[in-house]
Amino acid sequence: MTTLMELPVRGFMASGRLWLLLLVPLLVALYVWLVRRKSRSGIRFTNTGILERVLGKQNTWLRHVTVALSILSLITLVGAWARPFGVDRVPRNAATIVVVIDTSLSMNATDVSPNRLAAAKLAASDFVKAVPAQYNLSLVSLSGSPAVRLPPVTDRTAMLRAIERLEPQESTALGDAIYAALGAIDLAPRVDGNKTPPGMIVLLSDGANTAGQAPLQAAQEAGKRKVPVYTIAYGTDNGYVDLDGKRERVPPDKETMSKIAQETGGRMYAADNASQLNDAYKSIQTAVGYVEVEKEITATAAGVGLALALLAAVGAVMVGARWP
Amino acid sequence: MAQPTFAPPPQPSAAASVLAEPTGPSLPLNQLAPEAALRRLELAIVRRLEGFLHGDHLGLLPGPGSDVNDARPYQPGQDDVRKMDWAVTARTTVPHVRDTIADRELEVWALLDVTPSMNWGTEGVTKRDLGIAAIATIGFLSQRMGDRFGGLIMRPDGIRRLPARSGRTALYGLLRTMLTTPIVHDHAAGTMQLWDGVEQMSRTQRRRGLRVVVSDFLTPGDHELDPNIEPPWERSLRRMAVRNQVICIEVVDRHEVEFPDIGDMLIRDPETDFQRYVNTSDPAARARMDAASAAQRERIRIALRRVGVGHIQLRTDRDWVQDIARFVLAYRRVASQLHAPPQGVSR
Repeated sequence: MTTLMELPVRGFMASGRLWLLLLVPLLVALYVWLVRRKSRSGIRFTNTGILERVLGKQNTWLRHVTVALSILSLITLVGAWARPFGVDRVPRNAATIVVVIDTSLSMNATDVSPNRLAAAKLAASDFVKAVPAQYNLSLVSLSGSPAVRLPPVTDRTAMLRAIERLEPQESTALGDAIYAALGAIDLAPRVDGNKTPPGMIVLLSDGANTAGQAPLQAAQEAGKRKVPVYTIAYGTDNGYVDLDGKRERVPPDKETMSKIAQETGGRMYAADNASQLNDAYKSIQTAVGYVEVEKEITATAAGVGLALALLAAVGAVMVGARWP
Repeated sequence: MAQPTFAPPPQPSAAASVLAEPTGPSLPLNQLAPEAALRRLELAIVRRLEGFLHGDHLGLLPGPGSDVNDARPYQPGQDDVRKMDWAVTARTTVPHVRDTIADRELEVWALLDVTPSMNWGTEGVTKRDLGIAAIATIGFLSQRMGDRFGGLIMRPDGIRRLPARSGRTALYGLLRTMLTTPIVHDHAAGTMQLWDGVEQMSRTQRRRGLRVVVSDFLTPGDHELDPNIEPPWERSLRRMAVRNQVICIEVVDRHEVEFPDIGDMLIRDPETDFQRYVNTSDPAARARMDAASAAQRERIRIALRRVGVGHIQLRTDRDWVQDIARFVLAYRRVASQLHAPPQGVSR
């Protein structure tokens, strides 16, 4: 059974019924008043010190607990009556995942063994193998002129071969790569009549934008099209490459990456070695593999309310009944 | 012709005090001390009690006195050298002291506890009115020899002092004031307890004499039954009993001792926060309650005996005059031993 803890309430379908909760403070106030009131009924008796000693202490906490339980039960049942819904995660049945892999020259840095590109290829291959078989996969290389290396297909062998063929190229154009990936999503085969399956972009990059359009503008476009971009800021802060006999430092641009992820509703992961890269791909895989749908949890709420009401009933019997 | 009805207006029954706090005295003054009946009562008691609480009772705490009586030989160690009669000593060459006649005028002070637990009674009178009746009886007993009678009314928020005066009229005034003192409401604010009242009485009334303490001797919330543990009022009573002759009148209602069988009932205390449903029809619980109440009364009795004071137990369902008369008859024999002052304290 899924409990309320696992399914936090996101809203109510009949929220007007929640006005009934106004009863709760009324009931609490009534109870406090009844407890505080010096009762007019009953008889006066002077020797109550001895009476209390003879009868033993009365456990008033049981009564308080019973009242608290019944009020909690009332709250839960009113909540159930208002038809609450939570969020459930169901496996996605169709999706297009565009894997964007940075192939700029900085990927030759050896701060990740054997070098960044080789390790990224290996991790991307593992990711490709783990993604559910019905998802379309597409590959976009990220360099000065990003290109769709493989249009969306479900053929894993073609994908693996495409990853294998990636070669380092000049410069980094993050924005162009995102636009190319968005274009690749449109190429996906239609399902359910005339709809493209929902797309996602997994962007792995190790450096700052050096060419092409602004990455944040591309991210806004992706956000508009409801395509989450999961970004992986790859490499260590002290990575370097030797270009034309000149040593260049190539730290990952984590700030841009996290902005892109925020803009599109994805997430940013930072990976500075192979195992962290694998972990990042694994979390992306669980994130893209499920879709969050609204689910009515009236039955759960009613069940909890019923349990509380039962406990309250037991407490009431314990307080009131005199066992033989 | 229509027959006129001479029936007295209906009296508020004391039993109503079980349900709610009483609004006034359950006993009018004329029943407490009707002029003619009281004279009879006084005579009846005085005839039986000849010799006690009278002007000629030498045993009852004579003060140092002021009237010069006679000269008698000086007893070393017993007599005060300041009382030496030098003229007689010079004439007879034997040391003499001036003797004085004992001061026969006795000052009687009565402390009446009117805390809410006293506003209760299941029979004809409430405990408070029974206490006033007891004070009336003691007052008339001490009337003949012109003793002065004063009263202290102990309310939870303080003590009201009624000055000591002699004479029948003054006593009536005192009793009337006691009867008409407003009823203390339940859960009234104030921290005055019996021991505070006793402390105040012994502090303010310095003159030695007879002290009467009228209370139910119940401490709110006290559930101790072990007689070896002192009740909280014992210490202050003992302090007062060192210098004074003290008579404690314990006022009890029948249903404080015999727990009533009235079914399932909400029982609340006029002083504490106690409030609870009790199945009073449970014979076992009732038996336990009666045993505990008896032990509680026994503890009070033992504590009062330990203090060395006279102890009268009056019940609202019995004739208080009879009970006091019985006490006084026995008291005449034991009073001298009972009130023997502790060692090291002069008379």
